[in-house]
Amino acid sequence: MKLLLGLAIGTAIGAVMQLGGASSYRKILGSLLLKDMTIIKLILMTIAVTTVGIYALDLVDMANMDIKPTYVLGIIIAGLIFGVGFAISGYCPGTCVLASAEGKTDAMVTLLGGLVGAALYAVVYPLMLPLINLTNFGKITLASVFNVSNGIWIALPFSAILLVLIFRVLKDRYE
Amino acid sequence: MQDSPVLSWKVAGLLLGLLVILATALVKPFGVSTQYVVTDAIVLHSTAPAAAESNEYLNKYGEKDDWSVGYGWMLVLGMFLGSGIAALVTNRFRQRKNPSMPAMWQEQFGDHKGKRLIQAFIGGLLLLFGARLAGGCTSGHMISGISQLTVGSFIFGASIFASGILTARTLYKKRSSS
Repeated sequence: MKLLLGLAIGTAIGAVMQLGGASSYRKILGSLLLKDMTIIKLILMTIAVTTVGIYALDLVDMANMDIKPTYVLGIIIAGLIFGVGFAISGYCPGTCVLASAEGKTDAMVTLLGGLVGAALYAVVYPLMLPLINLTNFGKITLASVFNVSNGIWIALPFSAILLVLIFRVLKDRYE
Repeated sequence: MQDSPVLSWKVAGLLLGLLVILATALVKPFGVSTQYVVTDAIVLHSTAPAAAESNEYLNKYGEKDDWSVGYGWMLVLGMFLGSGIAALVTNRFRQRKNPSMPAMWQEQFGDHKGKRLIQAFIGGLLLLFGARLAGGCTSGHMISGISQLTVGSFIFGASIFASGILTARTLYKKRSSS
């Protein structure tokens, strides 16, 4: 049952992302070159909606949250590595799956490279543990840092700022 | 223009947000990169079970007698199907002139299929190494993580865009001269 649910939600997510242009190399590189804001706006719009939704669910205790630990140094280094891969391939771990389904063979190769990268990480994982444990602040959120018991009071202004940013500040294109 | 998306970012962002909220209410927030490890674990477990069982990291993703796919893996499979169906229905399946090379890439680097595929492979390798070190990718950290106001996810988002923007600029530096 849960497997079918995953398949159903995934199918809807994949379709929406594909129709939104998330699997397009041109759109992703356009974002990273800061010329075409479509994907950045799509991501920020998603976050604006999801943040309020999740913290509204949390008010009635219905959000199955999964907070990832904040190990500052390891995450910064990971992000720098990820960013290079993002710009070189023009995909991310999810969008190369979407683009593969569209028949783009470079995306299939990125997917394959991803499987090798994940395997490589599994091999060197013991060596990475010191880096992960070095600056680990645990599962912290803006709500816990500012000692706010109902996260919705941060979620609402945060989403409002994002909406102002995407509707009023960011333009679609910069040439 | 053939590259303009079918859905605007407003509609796509709203729908995607509602789907992630639904997933969080029913099961858990949305993430993709873990499933690369799950796939590796399944493959290795069926080809070299001893190596799979002895790897500390892979062991976090499989039980001794159950290394099968779960909800998260089916979600990624669904994403593949959903994207394929959407592309077929809107006549965008295999729409590229050259399936291995984006037109924009070809304009910059020329007609070098091998070079593109090497970039795609190395890019994928770096993506998943980075995502696994961070504990998530664009979906798990950027979208689901920031939406839960996770501090580390904000740091990850800033870090990938800093490095992605710098790399993209370096790659497309000579663009105007050609």
